[in-house]
Amino acid sequence: MFDDTHAPNLNADLKQTYDAVIVGSGAAGGMAAHVLTSHGLKVLLLEAGKKLNIEKELKSMQWPYDHPRRGRMPSSDHALTLNEYTIRPQPYAKGMRYKHVFSYVQGWSGSDYSKNIVVDERDHPTTGTPYAWVRARLLGGKTAIWGRLALRLSDYDFKAASRDGYGENWPISYADLAPYYDRVDTYLGISGLKEGLPQLPDSLFQRPNRFTKSEIMFRESLQKMNRVITPYRAGVTTDGLKHNKYRSKCFGRGACSRRVGGCDIHAAFDSPTGLIYPAMDTGNLTLRTNATVYEVTVDKDTGKASGVSFIDTETGKTYQAKAKAVVLGASTLESARLMLLSKSTQHPNGIGNSSGHVGHNFCEHMMGPSVTGIVKDLIGKPHTLDDGRPGGFYLPRFRNLAEKNPNFLRGYGFEGEGGMGIFPGHAMRTPGFGKEFKKTVRDYAGAFISMGGFGEVLPRYDNYVEIDPDTKDRWGVPVLRFHITFGENEKKMAQDMADQAQEMFENAGIQVIGVDRKMLTPGWSIHELGTTRMGSDPKKSVLNQFQQSHDVKNLFVVDGSSHVNASCQNPTWTIMALAWRSCDYLADQLKKGEV
Amino acid sequence: MGDELRRRDLIGITAGAAAAAQLGATPTHPRFFTPEEYAVVDDLSEMIIPADEKSGGAKAARVVDYIDVMLAEAFEQEERDDFRAGLKRFVSTPAAEREALLGRASQNEKRPRTPEEKFFRLLKQYTVTGYYTSKIGIHDDLDYKGNVYQQGQYAGYLPEKHS
Repeated sequence: MFDDTHAPNLNADLKQTYDAVIVGSGAAGGMAAHVLTSHGLKVLLLEAGKKLNIEKELKSMQWPYDHPRRGRMPSSDHALTLNEYTIRPQPYAKGMRYKHVFSYVQGWSGSDYSKNIVVDERDHPTTGTPYAWVRARLLGGKTAIWGRLALRLSDYDFKAASRDGYGENWPISYADLAPYYDRVDTYLGISGLKEGLPQLPDSLFQRPNRFTKSEIMFRESLQKMNRVITPYRAGVTTDGLKHNKYRSKCFGRGACSRRVGGCDIHAAFDSPTGLIYPAMDTGNLTLRTNATVYEVTVDKDTGKASGVSFIDTETGKTYQAKAKAVVLGASTLESARLMLLSKSTQHPNGIGNSSGHVGHNFCEHMMGPSVTGIVKDLIGKPHTLDDGRPGGFYLPRFRNLAEKNPNFLRGYGFEGEGGMGIFPGHAMRTPGFGKEFKKTVRDYAGAFISMGGFGEVLPRYDNYVEIDPDTKDRWGVPVLRFHITFGENEKKMAQDMADQAQEMFENAGIQVIGVDRKMLTPGWSIHELGTTRMGSDPKKSVLNQFQQSHDVKNLFVVDGSSHVNASCQNPTWTIMALAWRSCDYLADQLKKGEV
Repeated sequence: MGDELRRRDLIGITAGAAAAAQLGATPTHPRFFTPEEYAVVDDLSEMIIPADEKSGGAKAARVVDYIDVMLAEAFEQEERDDFRAGLKRFVSTPAAEREALLGRASQNEKRPRTPEEKFFRLLKQYTVTGYYTSKIGIHDDLDYKGNVYQQGQYAGYLPEKHS
């Protein structure tokens, strides 16, 4: 059912000065809207994309045979391939004949359901080094299709520099953030199993998804190595949320694992139903979509932020919004882009950039190394319900905890799953044709298990983005030029990831049929982080511990760009816990009149 | 009137009509293949995934209609030309000898070189995709249990110390 009670207001009142204007409506911006409005503040939320009729887009339960192209987007649309990211110069869509060009995720199954969610590379070009930048411009941003793995960071991450001497510590410790992780868990719902691991703190879990036979077997085998796989810690409410009428509990339909993502009953967290609609219900939130912010405006007398300028993506008209505080949640790279674009006499290098660190210290998760194997005991066995869940398992970091690895710093984790899916991906790898071929495909369908790694990419000053002097997007806003490559630490880590993945499978008696050792293009993990990092030293960081600009007291950046390092654990839950903490602080400061 | 009724009856009893309804936009006649090509592709797809004691094959799943739609709507003319060029050899081969030809064409699947080998790979890709996204492939053959509302406990197992 299309929610029309939370319609955006395209004629939002821009005469008043809001307490805060928020840029972006994803995990970060949505959380900021929730927290600030719950403190009674008047907030304007600007989103560059549209509000889609998302249930109609996702059609989570549609069978492949009920779709004319079995779920695929039209053939005139193209998803970039690994090869194209590697050999084509940016902008990737340049010189392509396709009607629309999308990032690689649109090459997954069911791409017709997400084609209106992700951006067209034609409208949003980038330049520089190869980078697979997955962006979603719509109300809710990437939370409309996120992978849902909801993990906490620990002091192995926040205090990593103290442990190994590389980079900077975060200006907070786990104890500072733990109460906010608890709030996020309770307000949004998370499923999982307590494991008591110091490197991966437990959440306040609702009931977990379950394991398949092969996963149970793999978990038991890993005990000998003092390692563990735990049911996918999903940002999904499995028991329901009494305080939120827009979200259903999860019915284990498994729809979310069959496609790019998305949940049409909103059991999986998404920012609109989880945060924004409840915030609108307070009466304190004004939502303006189709509003691409291109500048943070500055008060000439004080040097503080006075609001933002935005362009209506449909009409091309420009507007100004005024606010006592500006909160950026446009996504890691977009927030940095916006700050770099916001040059003024007071802030000649871009707003909040007296340190020169905006755009720098980029970090993320490297992907590529992975393993696939067969569990022989499951060949030819009756098929079971295996994909009725948001994810399979998570194998937490085990490197550089108690021991020190001689070859690389930091660590990596794996996501994986075993069991039967809707489509037999092994059919094309099964040789031949005819009755024997068909029987083999059937017999092996439930016997596969695989996992892929997510490794911490070290933040480096010289991994950075800047404004391209020549290239502009469809609306005339200068775009980002990338200077991002993986270094020696990532290369050595990737080798260990592949070796360990293979060894763990072999130790479990899984017949390994494939090991990938190559790193994928930067950006592939969709976990881009850093570029406006927090810190206590204004010369080496952009934000303080409350994600507040060192230079401009009423400017906050509450998305992943504030992260000091990437950890190897997925960032969304940390983004929201940090945003909650910072917006509590901002609300307090606004009430005291101190920003 | 008699003719009209008869035509409708005929259409109604062919499997193609059911598949056409399933595919939505598919007309009751092929959009890309000639009638001769259509019949040959139908036969070849069944050779790749035949009916067996467990389930119907590619013919029953109307894989040929799926391939016809995909080729009719393919973005590059080259995709249509390549398929047709590879198919030509099979169309011109007597029906009784086609399976043997398919067997020879399948000898180099991983690194296909000759036009026949490349065609085999293409045909297999289309057939696999079409068949295993069909009702027969998903439900009858693979016994896929998912895409359902689970009530109560989720399926699967919890690790021992938790169960």
